[in-house]
Amino acid sequence: MAAVILSKTAATSVIDLEDVSIGYGKDAPPVLVDVNLSVERGSFVAIVGPSGVGKSTLLRVVAGLHAARSGGVTIHQDQRPGHRPVGLVFQDSRLLPWRRVIRNVEFGLEGLPVSRDERRQRAEAALKLVRLDGYARRWPYELSGGQRQRIGIARAMAVDPDILLMDEPFGALDAITRHNLQDELRRIHQETGKTVLFVTHDLEEAVHLADRIIVLGGTPARVVRDVRNSAGRDGSVFRDQVEQLRSEIADNYSI
Amino acid sequence: MQTDKPMKSYQKVALSALGVLVFLLAWEAVARSGVVPARLLPSPSAVPAAFLTEFKSGTWQEMVLASLSHYLVGLSLGTFLGVSFGTAAALWGKWDAFQAWVVRMLRPIPAIAWIPFAIIWFGVSEGAASFLISLTVFWINYYASYAAVRGVDKDLIELGHAFGQGGLIPRLFKIILPGALPGILSGMRAGLGQGWMTVVAAELFGISGLGMRMMEASGLLATHIVVLYMVTIALLYGVSDFLFMQVQSRVLSWQR
Repeated sequence: MAAVILSKTAATSVIDLEDVSIGYGKDAPPVLVDVNLSVERGSFVAIVGPSGVGKSTLLRVVAGLHAARSGGVTIHQDQRPGHRPVGLVFQDSRLLPWRRVIRNVEFGLEGLPVSRDERRQRAEAALKLVRLDGYARRWPYELSGGQRQRIGIARAMAVDPDILLMDEPFGALDAITRHNLQDELRRIHQETGKTVLFVTHDLEEAVHLADRIIVLGGTPARVVRDVRNSAGRDGSVFRDQVEQLRSEIADNYSI
Repeated sequence: MQTDKPMKSYQKVALSALGVLVFLLAWEAVARSGVVPARLLPSPSAVPAAFLTEFKSGTWQEMVLASLSHYLVGLSLGTFLGVSFGTAAALWGKWDAFQAWVVRMLRPIPAIAWIPFAIIWFGVSEGAASFLISLTVFWINYYASYAAVRGVDKDLIELGHAFGQGGLIPRLFKIILPGALPGILSGMRAGLGQGWMTVVAAELFGISGLGMRMMEASGLLATHIVVLYMVTIALLYGVSDFLFMQVQSRVLSWQR
């Protein structure tokens, strides 16, 4: 079983996956094989593919929550003190219900060599980044689904991660809220220059947000396409890109 | 099913008071009607007089203080140990397996069955009463904490790992214990009530306190004094439960 290697050497990529294969249980067939992927610093990479293909599992491996069966996972960690290599955003916001919003955002900063004052300042800055700076003293149950997701993003951004990992973060939201949060995420990415690895099954979301799209497919799954994307939300280009991806996924995915 | 309209808190208090009043009036009516002989069922109106006699002689205060001290010592000890052992068993599978059958063997033995050993080990003393109370309270808290810790959302534990709080200490104090707190507190509350029940049983064999005084009075067929001490226990339980609820609702203010 291969664990995540934290490398302190400077590199243009933030994470490097080399021949990674992933499975559950010792004898079960692998879910994902031969994954080779380098994510460049500052880029926004989306991983798409049908349900059950192993997108979320891949993200969990990068986050260190699940060990790869074989292959190498390297995160090139920056030298700056007081930060964590990854910041994870879940589909279910996963806030601690017994902590007020501000203390939820501080959660990942605890245990880092950061003073209490700095911790509070960074949490407040993260709340401001997601435009919820008036909500610091609220309890999680007082928030809407979209607000909770924003707090989840703030919690991940507060640890100033080398890479922001997002696991279908807007999958459970209504269409209008999802659109708003997609725009917010684009703004946050542009403002902070954070590297983002974003898992989604929604092709339109991927084409709208990412500058690179990795398509997973097949059984066991592997990377079937690696697309540079600059369509954004630009009318016909956007539609073409979505349709092209859709047909490629259909070609590579036999039911 | 149609749900009730939410009640205002003063309405709830008024209804509860009305319930107690109707209960006392019905009791008084039965006692006065002569259907049941007065010796078998004293009327509640005889209780205030009994209280005055017991209070003037200082017996009432003495018994209440004695029982309260057994209760508080037994309750604190039983709660602390019950929560600790229950949490430990829920956290570590090996320890759980090791103690599972010991627990199964000891659990069904009621506190009263331990009275002979309590007397042999502690004598007819305060310690014996506290021991019996803590035993009762221990099991309630053991099982409540075990279930509460087992029920903590695994996703929140994963969250801890993702944000560098996966070590035993941060995991225990930042995720597991706060997550299990509602269940642990309801176990504590159940222990609070069971503890008072055991107070009486523990004192019946001669350790100074409410139970002993009830035993003495019933020996003399002074049933109004027995009722006085029954009411005293009910009030003491009511007050402790009320105070606990106040603390509980403050501690769990993060819940909807």
